[in-house]
Amino acid sequence: MGRENFHRILDETQQDVLRLGSLVEDATAKSVDALTRSDVKLADEICEGDDIVDDLCVRIETNCLNLLALQQPMASDLRTIAAMLDIIIDLERIGDHACDIAQITKNLATEPQLKPFIDIPLMATNAREMLRESLDAFAQHNADIAHKVPQKDDEVDRLYRAVFKELIEFMAKDPRAIGRGSNLILVALYLERIADHATNICERVVYMVEGVPKHLKRSVVEINQAIGQSEGLSTRSLGETAAS
Amino acid sequence: MPLFDQFRGRRKSDSDPLANALADRSAALLERFDALVDALPVGVIVVGDDGRVTVFNPAAAEIFAVPRERAIGRTLIESVRSFELDRRLSNALRSGIEQTAELTHNVGSERRLEVTTRPLRGSELPREAVAVVHDITRVRELESIRRDFVSNVSHELRTPLTSVKIIVETLQGGVDAATQAEFLNDIARETDRMIALVGDLLGLAKLESGAPASPFGPVDLCEVCREVVATQALRAKQLNIDLQVRTPDDPIEIEGERTRLVQVVVNLLDNALRVTQPGGHVKVGVKRDDGHAQLYVSDDGPGIPSSALPHIFERFYVVDRSRARSATGTGLGLAIVKHIIELHAASVTVESELGVGTTFRCRFKIKI
Repeated sequence: MGRENFHRILDETQQDVLRLGSLVEDATAKSVDALTRSDVKLADEICEGDDIVDDLCVRIETNCLNLLALQQPMASDLRTIAAMLDIIIDLERIGDHACDIAQITKNLATEPQLKPFIDIPLMATNAREMLRESLDAFAQHNADIAHKVPQKDDEVDRLYRAVFKELIEFMAKDPRAIGRGSNLILVALYLERIADHATNICERVVYMVEGVPKHLKRSVVEINQAIGQSEGLSTRSLGETAAS
Repeated sequence: MPLFDQFRGRRKSDSDPLANALADRSAALLERFDALVDALPVGVIVVGDDGRVTVFNPAAAEIFAVPRERAIGRTLIESVRSFELDRRLSNALRSGIEQTAELTHNVGSERRLEVTTRPLRGSELPREAVAVVHDITRVRELESIRRDFVSNVSHELRTPLTSVKIIVETLQGGVDAATQAEFLNDIARETDRMIALVGDLLGLAKLESGAPASPFGPVDLCEVCREVVATQALRAKQLNIDLQVRTPDDPIEIEGERTRLVQVVVNLLDNALRVTQPGGHVKVGVKRDDGHAQLYVSDDGPGIPSSALPHIFERFYVVDRSRARSATGTGLGLAIVKHIIELHAASVTVESELGVGTTFRCRFKIKI
């Protein structure tokens, strides 16, 4: 494999990462759309599409390992390959979460709606925006964008707390709502995790561009200080959630 | 090299007039081709054999919210991150497959796109593929609104007709005089509902047809408000809603058509009364505002979601279909208001907060 060939495969693999990102971003949007409209058919399509995500992950991983084994890349090329190997894990997890939300849609399809969907679609919009921008940062090798994206994670965390608290109150008032309520808490948790994965991607982009590993996600204590209120949840329980 | 690009930037030769003439001709053709593609109202994207974008017209830039400079020279997936579009263009390029499909693409808001991808036939090697993208978001929205409207109107007409049919059948079976009188009242009420709906439909059709309005004359908005509130006072009382009218003692006159201005207040007040819960408050008033007359109707009902606000003046748009059905809304009232307001060269705005309430404000020029 010549050097020209190496760069061609490296470029194509980066484009595959963007294809994978586009797929899981789309799946995330559709999963919440299916949930709010109780669209079981769309939910089925999302789960079926997860196979393409897995295949693409394998292709990217194989290409990356081949490049490492056969070309001994150095410096930024090496960091780009290392970053891609990490990023596809995050993207694959996002795809799984979209599929999880689709599965919940199917579970809830025959049940009456517990409450109007307001915060969950908002969480999805924010999480997708973070994901899109993290992929922009990767596509453009732009560390400035990557540094800015994680700041938006606070809003997703705040919405998660609001949804969590509201649903707990629903379930406390009416035990018949426990099944639906706990499923919706899981949906909110998956969206919160998607935003965290977007932050992880940004960390890899910063490493890829600047060559220095940086931790961009704020700690739970920092987030609590920023929000300035516990909203009835203990730091311990939040810590457990954030670490889950 | 992409289509025609071998002619771009070619230098003129001093010794070959024929070559110069050909170069000029090629440059003119290229310029015309670029202008033509730029002028198209549909998105046009061309990718070369290496998968990089060579043509990305302004319509495509707008549809995908990607500046042309960021797209040209890069692979499509780097700028327009649509897996499906990328896949279809790749199929056209590698396998010569022509496809048309409806895709969704999200750039802030969801867009529905009809995309045709095909290889560029007749071009010399290397190969190229083109995507022609129609933004059909608005078409799909209108289809959805039409479906909702037909569903709403069918329901609104069928419900009173079913009631009337049942009552008539009961009357045919023979009932006592008191029940007969009660049933006749029910028939009258249901008939009124149907007349109101048909009236709304005809009224809107008339407004939209651009039929000439009656001549404008001076209209006192304070008097209009007081008159409408007086006709709705009993209904508000029955609904246990506190209905107040607030107008200054002096008249506030504008140039307009009285009957239609009455309809504006009637429609706004009718909406407010339908959404306000028992024990709630509705205010109707007029005041002077910076040389203009401001007519307002406010309620402390459930409010309108911000996502619905841009659409509420659209014909047949109903914020909450189930709620509107139960409260006899047709989705036409605010569209009629908007048309009448525009007829008076005035403006109508809405402010709403969920759980707090909604205020509609109409701003007219005061008659000098």
